[in-house]
Amino acid sequence: MSTIGIIVNPNAGKDIRRLVTPATHTSDVTKVGIVRRAIVAAAEAGAERILVAPDTHRLGERAAEGLDAVVEIVDEPVTGSRYDTIGAARRFWKEQAGAVIALGGDGTSRDVALGWPDAPLIAISTGTNNVYPSAIDGTSAGAAAGYVATGAVSIDLVGRRSKRIVVHIDDADSSIDDVALVDLAFIDADFVGARAVRDPHTIRAVVAAVATPASTGLSAIAGRIHPVDRWETGGVFVRLGDGGRRVRVPLAPGSFTTMDVAEVRPLRDGEEVTLTGRTILAFDGERDRPVSPAGSVTCRVESSGPLLIDVENTLIRAARDRRFDTGTLSSTGEQHGH
Amino acid sequence: MSISPDKQFDLHRRMVRIRLFEEAAGRLAEANRLPGFLHLYVGEEAVASGVCGALNDDDHITSTHRGHGHLVAKGGDFNRMMAELMGKATGYCKGKGGSMHISDLSLGMLGANGIVGAGSPIAVGAAFANKYRKQGQVAVAFFGDGATNIGAFHEAANMACALHLPIVFACENNEYGEFTPRDKTMAITDIVDRAAGYGMPGVIVDGMDVIAVHEAALEAVERARTGGGPSLIEAKTYRFYNHHGVQNLGLKYRSDDEVARWKERDPIFTLEDRMVENKVATRQQFEDIWTQLRNDIDNAIKFAEESPVPAPDQVLVDVYTQKAGAR
Repeated sequence: MSTIGIIVNPNAGKDIRRLVTPATHTSDVTKVGIVRRAIVAAAEAGAERILVAPDTHRLGERAAEGLDAVVEIVDEPVTGSRYDTIGAARRFWKEQAGAVIALGGDGTSRDVALGWPDAPLIAISTGTNNVYPSAIDGTSAGAAAGYVATGAVSIDLVGRRSKRIVVHIDDADSSIDDVALVDLAFIDADFVGARAVRDPHTIRAVVAAVATPASTGLSAIAGRIHPVDRWETGGVFVRLGDGGRRVRVPLAPGSFTTMDVAEVRPLRDGEEVTLTGRTILAFDGERDRPVSPAGSVTCRVESSGPLLIDVENTLIRAARDRRFDTGTLSSTGEQHGH
Repeated sequence: MSISPDKQFDLHRRMVRIRLFEEAAGRLAEANRLPGFLHLYVGEEAVASGVCGALNDDDHITSTHRGHGHLVAKGGDFNRMMAELMGKATGYCKGKGGSMHISDLSLGMLGANGIVGAGSPIAVGAAFANKYRKQGQVAVAFFGDGATNIGAFHEAANMACALHLPIVFACENNEYGEFTPRDKTMAITDIVDRAAGYGMPGVIVDGMDVIAVHEAALEAVERARTGGGPSLIEAKTYRFYNHHGVQNLGLKYRSDDEVARWKERDPIFTLEDRMVENKVATRQQFEDIWTQLRNDIDNAIKFAEESPVPAPDQVLVDVYTQKAGAR
């Protein structure tokens, strides 16, 4: 049975960066609208099961209210944390969803990848730094997800493997594996705090899997010196400090900072980078994990991220296959079904 | 931004002062040694401390019916606070205000307020005066999630934005308006979703993390002080005790599990753990701080209990404006 899964991160697009930068605020009403459009379009495209992850804000339930489409809010624990997204992605994997739509920023896509590393994914940007997800309307996303899930358009033709940064942390009394999809940054700070990395002087180094001049956020530092797009293999390592180049970087949407870059080094696919010592690790732009002075962090960029679905290509193929047609008309306007 | 070790201790001290004052007030009320309603701020310390820690002494705040924490965080004096709660002549309002009208104009604390939502328009007035005087002061309005359903809040937010005033709206979203869950009284979950409707930015922070609140407050206050206009910070927080008092009325409007989950994220202990892990502080230092502040509270209780009640002939003093020529 053709199944799609929808995840909406209620916390995306509302953090501290809106105080001092013109980052977009994404309201619940906006998110509900996108999900509702995606549900309608997925059903229109023939998806038989539309699974929606539960969330603290009941956004999925609100989006499905009053629709004819068969929507199931899956029974998963709701914690109000990133584990809601991780758990939902894992559940959709178990349910053999043919496509997953996730609403959020880079961090939300990362959580999907943690729950389901090979997820066939359409990531819709409703976050702050949106390097990984794209600005796609829910209508198009839902339709593409539906055609892929039904097999009307083969995932082999429109899905493309994205990259991820595989991270291993050895600390005094723990050993942890984690991933990032866009960038991993080493921050000189004492606290995770409000999560966003606001002080440019605290950024020690960045490993980026995707770094283009069109990026905003930490990956933009590398993106403005040594661009690496989302499809080429490998990544780039940047160490901040004196002795190198000075560049202007949009560290947050609409907010430029001068950064001193001491070292820039391309990273081959799978090439490991190890940094030691006390730091706060920022995954995809947000401070997340403290590492003690005895800690060691090893990471590498791999082409082993989620399978990103090309929405436009999917819909073009559907059109060429006449998937939107409901019949043919004779010269007199009489309809013949097919 | 980096929060210096001195600032970390400062924020910690503000939170511990609030915790100890509130715990003491709760015990006194339970023992019938303290009259009137008592809305305890325990659990929400990170919000008042993180925000007030970003303010100057001459900046203004307005408060709520759960207002002790705001005054303590702004530097309130334990003796005068405890005396006020006990209705004594040595209290902040000479014993006539009590818990819900406690204030200290010298600290820029323009008053707790028994009326839900009533603090915001006062803060807007202060912000207007501050802008008019051009002395760089900022006003902060503290209020709860329920207050955003009140007309006064909407008028205040609208006017603040229309006049581009130096003000920060600090919402303490503790998920309950008295005994009613937020989702029974509004169709939105995040108060910040209202901000755009007035034309100001709104951000969410973890209200159980004083560093997170402080980081947001520093940016919002700087924005206001430098002419950037109003903003709204929504701190997701929780009251450990009931709407009022400690035992409340025994109403079961939230589960023990829910309360326990939030208590696991106690803002004071979370900060202490992190400061110790970062080797900024030792457990012994924290013990010394708690001990010293406990002494301060004990002294304040003694001061308040030994203070006189207001004399009968003072009953109308400070109640009406004493205007020359007025009858």
